[in-house]
Amino acid sequence: MNTEAPNRNSMLPFIWISAVGLLIFLIAPLVVSMFMVRVLQLFFLSVGLAVSWSILGGFSGYWSFGHTLFIGVGAFVGGNLASALGSDWSPLGILFTCMTAGGVASALLALILAYPLLRLRGIYFAIAMLGLAELMSELASNIDVVGGAMGLMTPDIVPEKLNPAVFYYYLFLVMGVIILLIAARIKYSRFGYGLTSIREDEDTAKMLGVPTERYKITAMVISCGLVGILGVLYGFSLGYFTAPSVFRVDFSLNMILHNLIGGIGTLMGPIIGAGIMIFLTQVVLGNLLNLHVMITGLLVIIIVLLAPAGILGTVKKRIQTRRLEKKPKVFDDE
Amino acid sequence: MPVGVFVQTMVDGIMLGGVLSLAAAGFSLIFGVMSVVSLAHGAMVVIGAYLAYTSWSLMGIDPLFMIPCIMLVMFVFGYCIQRTIIQWAVERSSLVASLLVTFGLALVLRNTLDLIFSPDVRSVSPPYAFMNFGIGSISFDVVRLIGLAASLCMLIFLAILLNRTGFGRKIRATAQQPFAAEICGINVAHIHGLTYGVGTAFAGVAGVIIGIVMPFSPNAEGHWTLNAFVVVVLGGVGSPTGALLGGLLLGLIETFTARFIGPSLTNAMMFLILVLMLLFRPQGILGHAFGESR
Repeated sequence: MNTEAPNRNSMLPFIWISAVGLLIFLIAPLVVSMFMVRVLQLFFLSVGLAVSWSILGGFSGYWSFGHTLFIGVGAFVGGNLASALGSDWSPLGILFTCMTAGGVASALLALILAYPLLRLRGIYFAIAMLGLAELMSELASNIDVVGGAMGLMTPDIVPEKLNPAVFYYYLFLVMGVIILLIAARIKYSRFGYGLTSIREDEDTAKMLGVPTERYKITAMVISCGLVGILGVLYGFSLGYFTAPSVFRVDFSLNMILHNLIGGIGTLMGPIIGAGIMIFLTQVVLGNLLNLHVMITGLLVIIIVLLAPAGILGTVKKRIQTRRLEKKPKVFDDE
Repeated sequence: MPVGVFVQTMVDGIMLGGVLSLAAAGFSLIFGVMSVVSLAHGAMVVIGAYLAYTSWSLMGIDPLFMIPCIMLVMFVFGYCIQRTIIQWAVERSSLVASLLVTFGLALVLRNTLDLIFSPDVRSVSPPYAFMNFGIGSISFDVVRLIGLAASLCMLIFLAILLNRTGFGRKIRATAQQPFAAEICGINVAHIHGLTYGVGTAFAGVAGVIIGIVMPFSPNAEGHWTLNAFVVVVLGGVGSPTGALLGGLLLGLIETFTARFIGPSLTNAMMFLILVLMLLFRPQGILGHAFGESR
């Protein structure tokens, strides 16, 4: 496993590729068709979600099966706040206030839930999160004040001359990049190494003085807060949503799936995974809607069986073994 | 609170609980023996229901007589699945991977059922489906009573299988210490396959009974998987008794919530109890049946 912090020289080509990629994506809406803009918009949303999930699930190994809980919380906090703010606010003012509020609300909820939930490990944590997401969804549908059953209308915040799809494309792009930068900053910090040690062996990490409890809770709060912000954005981009349209189990599962396909615990993995899955389901199989579920299922099985470490993990392993083969045998000089 | 309403709710709860127990028994066995959470369990239940539906609508055979046949089919199916997909996944990566492959399997099965039978809600209605009788002011649905009786019989059968036969002893040994069992000459991989087969067979039977008692559709699989999990978390892992206790409790919780709090809040209540149980007593009321060594 590669835990050394990347030095500047080895990162240089990588930074160039990212910059060029970013530039291409910035110009893309001017060139490609509206359909592709929508697909790419979904792609950046998925990247943002998958990377946020990875901060808890990938780095510290606590796989949440219910992260859609925070998409829902963000969307409902944002939607309700937007309608409370009224029309005398500027559109962007509404958007940013709601994003902040949604993020803070999700982070606070995560903080409350984190202490009891993070004592559960493995499968039990996964299922508890799944249960909580369902519980929240039911509550949002059944409590009239929240408006989950009737649905919420979000105010139209798109600037006049801009196509809504393009507007949200840029918003999701910016959020995706910000989340990726946050994740990168975390991964190569003391905090990030602490999380990795929790993933590899929590008890040993604790014994060696890693403040596991605090690190886990921090990771969960950051991860859920970011998902909450994306949830606000997603709610706004829908324009009208009900509880089932934001508390969606497939959101939770896609976050895991994208990480799994790309490589759990890596930064680029979720991007590769989301890219492949979105391309496959939206573009290649766009016309075979009734087979989507089956193909997703088959892909999950195939990936787990053939490349359990994900695409990046498998490639890394290949490179490592090749390097080992090339090295001259050191202990052979007797 | 009128006593009649209370007793009626209780009776309904127990009759529902019997079916829920049976639907969770196989899941509980698989979880207890292999520590594999089979997210495809609900799909197996629904497949059982569709097999019953097919035999009823095509051949007109009463689904209850088809139970041995359906059990055999599901057993073979489960064994094959375990020896291929699940075993490979556990060997190549980790136990959490089994969560993912079984989930993938559930998606494939649900989609397949959707394609074959359409996503419409179906039900099997044998002649006794709408009969009921009353004792005093309490009414009993005949079909639910049959469901409860069949569930109890199957659970007793499972208990005898586990506790009174050589095969059951092998399963229990494997659950306690797979390594030691291997040393004693038990083919652990084979036993795991058989256990998964038995679990799947019981899911199939539960599906048959559910098919008679209530309507079903391919999309119900998620509900039945979660139901199995809640029952196991309530009752405890691995034993038919735990499944029975958890199922009855869940049945009572569901009917009482529906009757006295609100029908739309049954799921919310179920998940609330699931989360609370996980936090305060994750081993369930009866604890782990094979858990001495864990």
